[in-house]
Amino acid sequence: MSIDSIAVRVAAIEPVAPLIREFRLEAVEGGLPPFSPGSHIQVAMPGEVREIRNAYSLCSDPADTTGYTIAVRLQENSRGGSQFMHTRVRVGDRLSITPPANFFAPVWQARKHLLVAGGVGITPFISYLHELERQNAEFELHHLYRGTQTGAYCARLQQLGTKYFGYDSDNEVFCDLNQLLSNREPGTHVYICGPEPLIEGVCATARELGWPDSLIHYEAFAAPEPGEPFKAQLARSGKAVEVGSDESLLEALEREGVTVPNLCRGGVCGQCATQVVDGAVEHRDDFLSADEKASGTCIMPCVSRAAGNHLTLDL
Amino acid sequence: MQIDPSIKSRPKYQVPVLVGSARLQLFICEPAARDQLMSLHQQCEPEQTYWLEVGDPVACDSAAESCTFEGLAACLQRRLAGAPVATRLYVAGSEAFLWDVRNQALAAGLVDEQIQLAPPVSRARRLFCTHCYTRMEGVETSPHRCSGCGRLLLVRDHFARLHGAYVGVQINAEDPNEQPEQEVLQ
Repeated sequence: MSIDSIAVRVAAIEPVAPLIREFRLEAVEGGLPPFSPGSHIQVAMPGEVREIRNAYSLCSDPADTTGYTIAVRLQENSRGGSQFMHTRVRVGDRLSITPPANFFAPVWQARKHLLVAGGVGITPFISYLHELERQNAEFELHHLYRGTQTGAYCARLQQLGTKYFGYDSDNEVFCDLNQLLSNREPGTHVYICGPEPLIEGVCATARELGWPDSLIHYEAFAAPEPGEPFKAQLARSGKAVEVGSDESLLEALEREGVTVPNLCRGGVCGQCATQVVDGAVEHRDDFLSADEKASGTCIMPCVSRAAGNHLTLDL
Repeated sequence: MQIDPSIKSRPKYQVPVLVGSARLQLFICEPAARDQLMSLHQQCEPEQTYWLEVGDPVACDSAAESCTFEGLAACLQRRLAGAPVATRLYVAGSEAFLWDVRNQALAAGLVDEQIQLAPPVSRARRLFCTHCYTRMEGVETSPHRCSGCGRLLLVRDHFARLHGAYVGVQINAEDPNEQPEQEVLQ
């Protein structure tokens, strides 16, 4: 499978929070494909050592195909992507993106949508808001952030009136998840986007309150964490690929010209699933089931690594 | 790899099990299937459980309307309107009844994960004629003469959840005089 790439020009850059910048991207030629709320794109950045590819949620109006907007939070331990976007990218620059894909679409059968955003996790919900308002859907947006770092879009979100609930932890305003999830009626779906502890907290509280799993939706994009270097032996091509501590297995394979289909680059979508022939895997993805992980026959190279110093892959 | 010979759309049923984390346990049955749910109902905390039975005036809010499916459906909608999100629904009865209740519950905002359908009390099928859209109840043999258009219908295993019915297609479209042998549906 090959992913088409679209050449875009950076049309505008705007700081929307102390650590978050918003980029408007427009096609170099023609328009851009329409997308559904919750979609993301991959942005390819020409880094110094290697090409960096990061997935970002689209936060513009899905009906607007003249341009896409993404919001990028500067990560303290940036692997290069967010730093590149914040320090190197200028208005007028060209970048390459993939067409939108969506693993986090609203469930339109829902009677009420309960959106829970943590920090820059607000981004997919910005695209939701356009569509929810257009469809006159019932919703509440609960926005947990740190005013000194990530409180993006607050002015715009205030306009939602009683549908908006802001919690600025720098101002000692916290969200009581138990209260948030109690006394909800059938047909209420909850969506979470934000840091892992928030996702886990909401999921755990909801399950304790008896929420069925199919009413709980989350997007846990996580950039690959660094790890110990290891060697990947490719059984079919005979190649050997050294994986550095600060790059993912997928990035190392791409560096060596080995193509693996991929979409989210964050351990969520399952596209890059690769057969493991030999070696132990340290699973870090959110896609494989516990049983599949235990069997050790499959790896998501976008985030997972070798548990030892080598892996043999069916590539 | 083993290829499953059964048709994918044909539902598979399992004996319901109580979901302990639920805040409202809702039981709905036809009289003939009462025994399939009663023991589960009796295990629940009295204030967290509710029993609805077709034709049982005591179990419904309104004695008069409970005797029909429409009355039961109205009662179910009222119950679900103020129900917690942690509601679980257990349904037992004929196959068509199971799916009618399930569709009512979906309309009230429930998802399939919240609904358990017990194995149907009989093999009788609701049949949907793909030619004239007539629905027939209690079909036990195939082919079956359509009560709407008179065509002789092959009763397929293909199941439509929206109708709670199996699909019927004319068995002798090439030669309407042909009368294939009738067999009992499994």
